[in-house]
Amino acid sequence: MLRKLTTLVALTCALVSSQVFAEPTVDQAAPTFTAKTADGKTIDLASLKGKTVVLEWTNHECPFVKKHYDKSGNIPGLQKEFTAKGITWLQVVSSAPGKQGYVDGAAAIKANKDRNAVPTNTILDPEGTLAKLYGAQTSPHFFIINDKGVLVYKGGVDNVASNKPEDIAGATNYVREALTAIASGKKVPNPSTKPYGCSIKFAS
Amino acid sequence: MGFWRFLCCLLLVLTTEASHAISDRAATEQVAAQLLASVDSVSPGSEIYLGVNQKIIPHWHTYWSNPGDSGLATTISWKLPEGASASDILWPIPGRISLGTITNYGYSNEVTLLSKITVPTTVLVGSQFTVEATVDWLVCNEECIPQQVELSLSLPVVTSARPASSGSPLIQQALAQLPVTSPWPASVDAATGELNLHIGISEAQAKNIKDIWFYPADWGVIAQNADQPKQITASAISLKLKTGEVPLKPNQPLKGVLVVTEQTPEGVIATGFNLELTPTTPATEKAPEIGFVSALLLALVGGLILNLMPCVFPVLSLKALSLVRHADHAPEEVRLQGWVYTAGVLVSFSLLAAILVILKAGGAQIGWGFQFQSPLFVILVAYLMFVVGLNLSSVFVIGGSIAGVGSSLADRKGYSGSFFTGVLATIAATPCTAPFMAAALGYALSQPSAKLFAIFLSLGFGLALPYLLLANWPRLQSWLPRPGAWMEVTKQAFAFPMYATAAWLVWVLAQQAGPNAVIIALVGMVALSFAAWLYNTTRNASPRTERVGTIAALAIVVAIIFTSYRGLETYATANLANESSSEQKNWEAYTPARLESLLAEGKPVFLNFTASWCISCLVNERVALSNSTVVNAFSANKITYLKGDWTKRDAEITAILTKFGRSGVPLYVFYPAGKNSKPIKLPQLLTPDIVLSTITTQQ
Repeated sequence: MLRKLTTLVALTCALVSSQVFAEPTVDQAAPTFTAKTADGKTIDLASLKGKTVVLEWTNHECPFVKKHYDKSGNIPGLQKEFTAKGITWLQVVSSAPGKQGYVDGAAAIKANKDRNAVPTNTILDPEGTLAKLYGAQTSPHFFIINDKGVLVYKGGVDNVASNKPEDIAGATNYVREALTAIASGKKVPNPSTKPYGCSIKFAS
Repeated sequence: MGFWRFLCCLLLVLTTEASHAISDRAATEQVAAQLLASVDSVSPGSEIYLGVNQKIIPHWHTYWSNPGDSGLATTISWKLPEGASASDILWPIPGRISLGTITNYGYSNEVTLLSKITVPTTVLVGSQFTVEATVDWLVCNEECIPQQVELSLSLPVVTSARPASSGSPLIQQALAQLPVTSPWPASVDAATGELNLHIGISEAQAKNIKDIWFYPADWGVIAQNADQPKQITASAISLKLKTGEVPLKPNQPLKGVLVVTEQTPEGVIATGFNLELTPTTPATEKAPEIGFVSALLLALVGGLILNLMPCVFPVLSLKALSLVRHADHAPEEVRLQGWVYTAGVLVSFSLLAAILVILKAGGAQIGWGFQFQSPLFVILVAYLMFVVGLNLSSVFVIGGSIAGVGSSLADRKGYSGSFFTGVLATIAATPCTAPFMAAALGYALSQPSAKLFAIFLSLGFGLALPYLLLANWPRLQSWLPRPGAWMEVTKQAFAFPMYATAAWLVWVLAQQAGPNAVIIALVGMVALSFAAWLYNTTRNASPRTERVGTIAALAIVVAIIFTSYRGLETYATANLANESSSEQKNWEAYTPARLESLLAEGKPVFLNFTASWCISCLVNERVALSNSTVVNAFSANKITYLKGDWTKRDAEITAILTKFGRSGVPLYVFYPAGKNSKPIKLPQLLTPDIVLSTITTQQ
């Protein structure tokens, strides 16, 4: 009983402190969180220790997201490739109700079906709590956490900030680069890059 | 609603892309664009400006070259007649748009993006010079819409004889909005997690500034969404920039535009200044290079060298004398004396370190040798040296119980004698910033307290080492001569370095507190010698007389110290008021403002920071800087020689010493001619050749 209580207190403290010291830093422990998913479950980052976790901020109505989904299949391709290798891929939707990109669970699932997206799950974050915890700024914006719970990548999907699908071919895909490096036990070559896309639509 | 608007815009973009009825105007729901020219007609071989003007509906904005946290810079791709070329976009100064946790850089309401177009000489007079521009932009309020328009413009080609027309006034307005070269000297220093940008704007100018903001050329160098707290001093505005996701690499310059918004009689005007500055590391540029271990080693070597410095040498001589005395003692005892002396040095250095830590915590602008800036401290040390001299001259011989640090030095057999010799050596050593020591100390002062202590202890150990070695190495001791009558002679001879030191300190005092302080000190010394004589002559009398003598001598000492203190307090302030120098000189007194204005004019400047208690400073001045060849070279090269005197505490000089990684004098810096020239730091020991080669090769 006492042990459980201590664990609880410790966990609460960890959660509170991670919220206080937001803005996660590369090479440091990623802030833990629990969040609701589109299929009505609750997901706890701490329980995913031992797995590489990708957090991808998305907004299916954003033209930059469309570039990488509908118009090119770039991100769905990454999802397929890396979830098959055992990576946990979590989309996060932080648009507030009434704002561009807001979805409920059903709408999120439908939107992904429509654009052939296959993430492990989609986190609904209409309050923007998780976005603020991670300092997420744009859609898309990626955060990759390694199997030890350490943040190893934060930034954009690639290095060509544009809304043109034809630019994808010539771009360095930072997410693939990072995930490939992690899989082979190497250091992520570009651990922090500029994200580009639509700003996250917080409740005003 | 969002969806409908998006659909509507998407259609609009698609229709714009589809239709090829190109004119000089195109509009989306959010942005009306127009292609403008600085001329009505072009001539072969001329240069013109073309501008894409965007009129943006309220609450929406387009982006600058570095769009900030999100967003996308506008791009223009030109289709020009053969042989013509277009420059990159010349970006007018941006504004910042903050939304929640993100900050972007861009334009609201209206902006004109300029490009410089070179018209080839081959264009035919009478033909049309037709340009087409495909302009891509992202326009956002909360949502973002990528848009593309195509614009075209035809200008008649005429002979160059016809005067160029003024074209669109919007182009002139946009030219006025381009960032310019900064008229103020600027510098950047890098600290952990932040960059400090210093702009030499005077306090008076700063009063009219409503807003000042640095826009980095590249994403991630600084945290876009962080505030840029500013600090206004008499000579500069400093902005604290939080480091972003992609900090600058070593030697990578910080590039960007500083936008200053001023309240002027004509209204509020924003001006942009291009900056490209390579950061220096504050406190010491050595900090990243000299690690902790090398700082310890440097301190050790510095301590060793201190033994040879004129201020310490007399004390060391004293020690040599006492060593001779100890030569007939048991080796263990001599060894122990060595360790006790070392302990004395180390304890004193710990004390100094502790004082520094406390003062540092209090934010005092201090540096090595700071205690010599207090006239009272100087006079007390002068007295101490004098009394030690009297003792060596056998004016008085100390009994077993006398108090006083210096007086018990050489004569006392006890370990306390050795201990206080260590203390005295430390006190005397402080004003000599020997080479090696400066670097280590500059490093130490920028370090956490524990490291600062370690470095100080290492320095102290270096100082104590020669004696410790002698004490521990019997073979070295056997080299020492046998005790005999010559010892008394030697002892008396060693009194003279002490008197010399005292004389030097009085001279230092004169610089600090004026001629009246000299008479205080000299009268004090006469009184001290009287007290010493009184004490000594009563030694062999009755116990009662002896007691009276001791008390009288002590009373005189206390009176001297008290009178000196009161007198110095009065004269030091009076002297400050009427300080003037009439001697022929080729230097000006250093002030930050003078340096700044000289640098702004691009004139060469030689800086010398000195203090009258700094021996190496004086030697350098005498040997190198007053050398006639050097003096002539200075005037031939029109070098302004600024001298900063740190004899008394001066926060401004302390600040610039810190900037160059020093915590003490001497410091010599040469700024070659030319604006934004890089300062060159000269070594701490100068020769005429070093100075000459620095100022001539860098001209």
